[in-house]
Amino acid sequence: MVLWIVLAVLTAVVAAVLIAPLMKARQPVLAGPEDGAAVYRDQLREIDRDLSEGLIGAQEADYARAEIGRRLLAIAGKSDATDASVVKAGPGGRHRLALSAILLCLPAVGLCLYLMLGSPGLPDQPLEARLANPGNNIALLIAKAERHLAQNPNDGAGWDLLAPIYFRSQRLADAENAYRRAIALLGESPERLAGLGETLVAGRDGVVTADALAAFERAVALNRNNMRARFYVALGLEQAGRTPEALKAFQAIAADSPPGAAWTQLVAEHIAKNGGAPAAATKAPGNPGADDIAAAQQLSATDRQQMIAGMVESLAARLKDDPNNIEGWLRLVRSYKVLGRDESAGEALKTGLKTFPPTGEEGRRLLALAREMGLSLEGISQ
Amino acid sequence: MTRKQKRLAVIAGGVSFILAAVLIVMFAFSQSIAYFYMPSDLAKAEVSPGTRIRLGGLVEEGSVVRGEGSKVSFRVTDGGESVPVSYTGILPDLFREGQGVVTEGTLTPARAFVADSVLAKHDENYMPKEVADGLKQKGVWKDPKEATR
Amino acid sequence: MIIEIGHYALVLSLATSLLLSVLPLIGARRQDAALMALAPIGSVTLFGLVALSFAALTWAYAVSDFSVANVWENSHSLMPLVYKLSGVWGNHEGSMLLWLLILVLFSAMVAVFGRNLPDSLRATVLSVQAWIGTAFLLFILLTSNPFVRLNPAPAEGQDLNPVLQDPGLAVHPPLLYLGYVGFSVCFSFAIAALIEGRIDAAWARWVRPWTLAAWTFLTAGIAMGSYWAYYELGWGGWWFWDPVENASFMPWLAGTALLHSALVMEKREALKVWTVLLAILTFSLSLLGTFLVRSGVLTSVHAFATDPTRGTFILAILSFFVGGAFALYAWRAPELKSGGLFAPISREGALVLNNLILTVSTATVLIGTLYPLVLETLTGEKISVGAPFFNLSFGLLMIPLLIAVPFGPLLAWKRGDLLGALQRLYLVAGLSLVAGFVLFYLEHGGPVMAGLGLALGFFLMLGALADLWFRSGFGKLAFSVAFARFKGLPRSAFGTALAHFGLGVTVLGIVAVTTFETETVVEMKQGQTVTVGGYSLVFDGLREAVGPNFTEERGHFTVSRAGVAVADVWSSKRIYTARRMPTTEAGILTFGFSQLYVSLGDPMADGGIVVRIWWKPWILCIWGGALVMMVGGFVSLSDRRLRVGAPSRRAKPVKALMEPAE
Repeated sequence: MVLWIVLAVLTAVVAAVLIAPLMKARQPVLAGPEDGAAVYRDQLREIDRDLSEGLIGAQEADYARAEIGRRLLAIAGKSDATDASVVKAGPGGRHRLALSAILLCLPAVGLCLYLMLGSPGLPDQPLEARLANPGNNIALLIAKAERHLAQNPNDGAGWDLLAPIYFRSQRLADAENAYRRAIALLGESPERLAGLGETLVAGRDGVVTADALAAFERAVALNRNNMRARFYVALGLEQAGRTPEALKAFQAIAADSPPGAAWTQLVAEHIAKNGGAPAAATKAPGNPGADDIAAAQQLSATDRQQMIAGMVESLAARLKDDPNNIEGWLRLVRSYKVLGRDESAGEALKTGLKTFPPTGEEGRRLLALAREMGLSLEGISQ
Repeated sequence: MTRKQKRLAVIAGGVSFILAAVLIVMFAFSQSIAYFYMPSDLAKAEVSPGTRIRLGGLVEEGSVVRGEGSKVSFRVTDGGESVPVSYTGILPDLFREGQGVVTEGTLTPARAFVADSVLAKHDENYMPKEVADGLKQKGVWKDPKEATR
Repeated sequence: MIIEIGHYALVLSLATSLLLSVLPLIGARRQDAALMALAPIGSVTLFGLVALSFAALTWAYAVSDFSVANVWENSHSLMPLVYKLSGVWGNHEGSMLLWLLILVLFSAMVAVFGRNLPDSLRATVLSVQAWIGTAFLLFILLTSNPFVRLNPAPAEGQDLNPVLQDPGLAVHPPLLYLGYVGFSVCFSFAIAALIEGRIDAAWARWVRPWTLAAWTFLTAGIAMGSYWAYYELGWGGWWFWDPVENASFMPWLAGTALLHSALVMEKREALKVWTVLLAILTFSLSLLGTFLVRSGVLTSVHAFATDPTRGTFILAILSFFVGGAFALYAWRAPELKSGGLFAPISREGALVLNNLILTVSTATVLIGTLYPLVLETLTGEKISVGAPFFNLSFGLLMIPLLIAVPFGPLLAWKRGDLLGALQRLYLVAGLSLVAGFVLFYLEHGGPVMAGLGLALGFFLMLGALADLWFRSGFGKLAFSVAFARFKGLPRSAFGTALAHFGLGVTVLGIVAVTTFETETVVEMKQGQTVTVGGYSLVFDGLREAVGPNFTEERGHFTVSRAGVAVADVWSSKRIYTARRMPTTEAGILTFGFSQLYVSLGDPMADGGIVVRIWWKPWILCIWGGALVMMVGGFVSLSDRRLRVGAPSRRAKPVKALMEPAE
């Protein structure tokens, strides 16, 4: 409400200022020529001065005076000519028009545009005031911690606290920096190393890079019971194509895990993938069991993403071995598309169409799905 | 000289100055224009060694090798071809693998590129315009802004 | 609430500006005093509104109100306050608001200081200013609104680009815009003259202070930008012929031409039509510069975040004003009576030569800047026109101008005596040659051309002094008489001499630094020594340091000459925490006019670091000369004669006589 009053007052003041000259009864002035003459008279004085100071010669001065005199005459003639037309002006009906233009234009343009563009409901939010009263706003709490750390960059505990929070809010570069600082200041611990490794892995879309692997291995060396680190070490082996070692590592994790641990299903999945005996009962190919989903829900967002990616990859691998599975192809195309991997989706579509030609019933289902998902059908012969 | 002749002389002087300027500009153009290529354009185009050109693209991942002193070699790629580049000097702060870069220099007879200037831009989100256009055409890179819209 | 008031003030400015674009113009056509009187008071009000809006945005930056999207994108709560404040114009939206603020500031100044103008001329000028204001207000509100809010507000900003976190940002854009936008006044005067169909010597005098003010600020802005790039970018270069630099340089060249042609028009009422054209051209080039920077059509180091709609909008503004102005010019200019004849050898003749060369070189820069763009649009071929093109073409064209500069002021109006001027200057020329070669000898090496270039610089400097010397009659008259005459010279004469002297200083600096500069790139380990420009630098090692919003690796160097330690310097590589962006902070040591420039490169595997060291002899002359030019501009601006009509004009000379000691 206060805002609207201020805006109204502002508009009124501007309108009043603009109206003022229209209200004053003014004599029309003989403008122009007079002022030009002032300039020329000044130029004449200047010539006198230059002459008296010897800057110019007498002859030059005479020429210049004559020229300026001609200019003075020229504008004098003009002012005579315009005199008649000047007088006609007066505060007539025109001003009423101008008046209404001002009174209409200001509030109309001002209000319409402001309502379109402005956010009258939003109060000012200076950061200091918000930080003084952060409530449950995670972002503000992080900002507060950041300020603290900017002033005390050697507070290792602070970095240690902040690092996993950064990780959860997907600020991976900050998380990496925070983990590294915490490690530098407080020394290595399995949790910090595993956290750093996980951050690096997340930063490379699930690929266990060499430095991530090094971090996990050091974490395992410090504490063999850090299952998270061991899992990633095994994953690294798997990604490096060292299948037997990966299998052994995953089996060891399964053996060392307490029964009913959240990651049991995920590990079992990987054991199966690396050619080990599946721990759980066989299921329909590619359909995650209820347990898998339950496990997925217990994982963090990144882990879940990774798990989904892992399942999709294993589905793709199975379809490669046994392409005669239309449901599998449909799910694979859809999954790729959902994961945002349009290219892979297109690839899968093409490969699937090799087994199920577009002329057949199943082929048509694939094409319909592709169209529905907005995939490009270029290069696919109908 | 009559007044007319004087005026003619002035005009002739002005015109000849402008003509001289035009000639100088054309000469300078012929000396110092550098054409811009992406690596795959360069593979197709006939660029004789020694001609000054600009080469733009992405710095290929894992290709940066630092030699002794301030010698650096790396490869510039556009997803298709890639060209080896050698450079002596200090690289800009924002020169990174996988980032856009524009280099200026000449080709050696062995089709390697010797750069005497390397530009990477002053903002981490910024892609040199020619490189961005070229990569867009080849579908390697998408404007992050367009992608989010 | 403060932010929303600022937003509303901006919207209200649009309404006010719309009214001002129409009503006073009608008033001027109908000689209606009341409607014309609306212009000055309305312009001052408009300035008040935009200033209110600008203040609100500045406040949002000062208190880090991240509910304003613009603040969130370009600020960080941990930045020092001065960078928070200068961050207001460190981004597209905010800098457009600054552009607008300066535009309406100039309108308000015309309103306040223009009391000596004919009412109808003043009303028309202010109306044209309001058109420009309206266009840019629409642009800001519709495509680049700095008051867009975020709800919920983010907790921390994305930080200002580290390159911009520098005192240079606080000074460079405001100065540059004062220059760029100042030329809008000349433009408006030209359009008003065309609309009124009346133009004479008095017009030239009214325009001159505005041209002079804009030119002075633009000089300062360009020099400041050049120095900033020099020390901040860490490449040791001071001019890159970057499109955006050219964009500010072209209005400067055209403005310099305008400054000189207005002089001819004022004195001799000649070159009227040409001066009007130059006034239009100069501001058109300013607008073109704005378009080039904001639309992102050209590759440049000044990369603003670009957006196609903005480019289109500015292109529309550009075509409207430039196209409209030239159409009006084509229509009305033939009706303007030309006048004033003069001999080729005369002050006017020299000024025409100045104009010819300056416009041709402006065209050269314009062609070099736009040619790649045009070629790409037409054929799709991508080329770059680099520094060699500009150095060759622009450099060659400038030489005759620079040689001619000292002659101009020595020639009389109307009919000059070239022989006399030559006789007066031969001593100066001889002295300059000697000085040039002496400096050349002192610095050693370099091609012979450099000696001539240095001599040219000295010729300009000594020529400017000679002008004052001969005008006062030193050597001809008794010393006391000459000194009295010297003191009595108009301020504008001192302004001219200072500006020409400054040009000489700049030329000297440019020639010296391009010829004698040395660059050393070495890999250094702790304790190693390298000798550059007669100084030896010992690398004392790297140290980590933490700033408010960055961490840095600082290298320390001890500098000694002939075995005696004379100075020490830090040079560092910084990483700004929020954007994780590295910058190089060069270490710069000043010795007289010369500088030692130390910049760190990449650390090597074996613990050494690549260090790049330049010896930049006489480099400060480049900006020092610009500073002198600027002082010349202000001295000239303070000339009594530019304030004709001001009430105090009669009192002044009397006072000066009574206080000879002054």
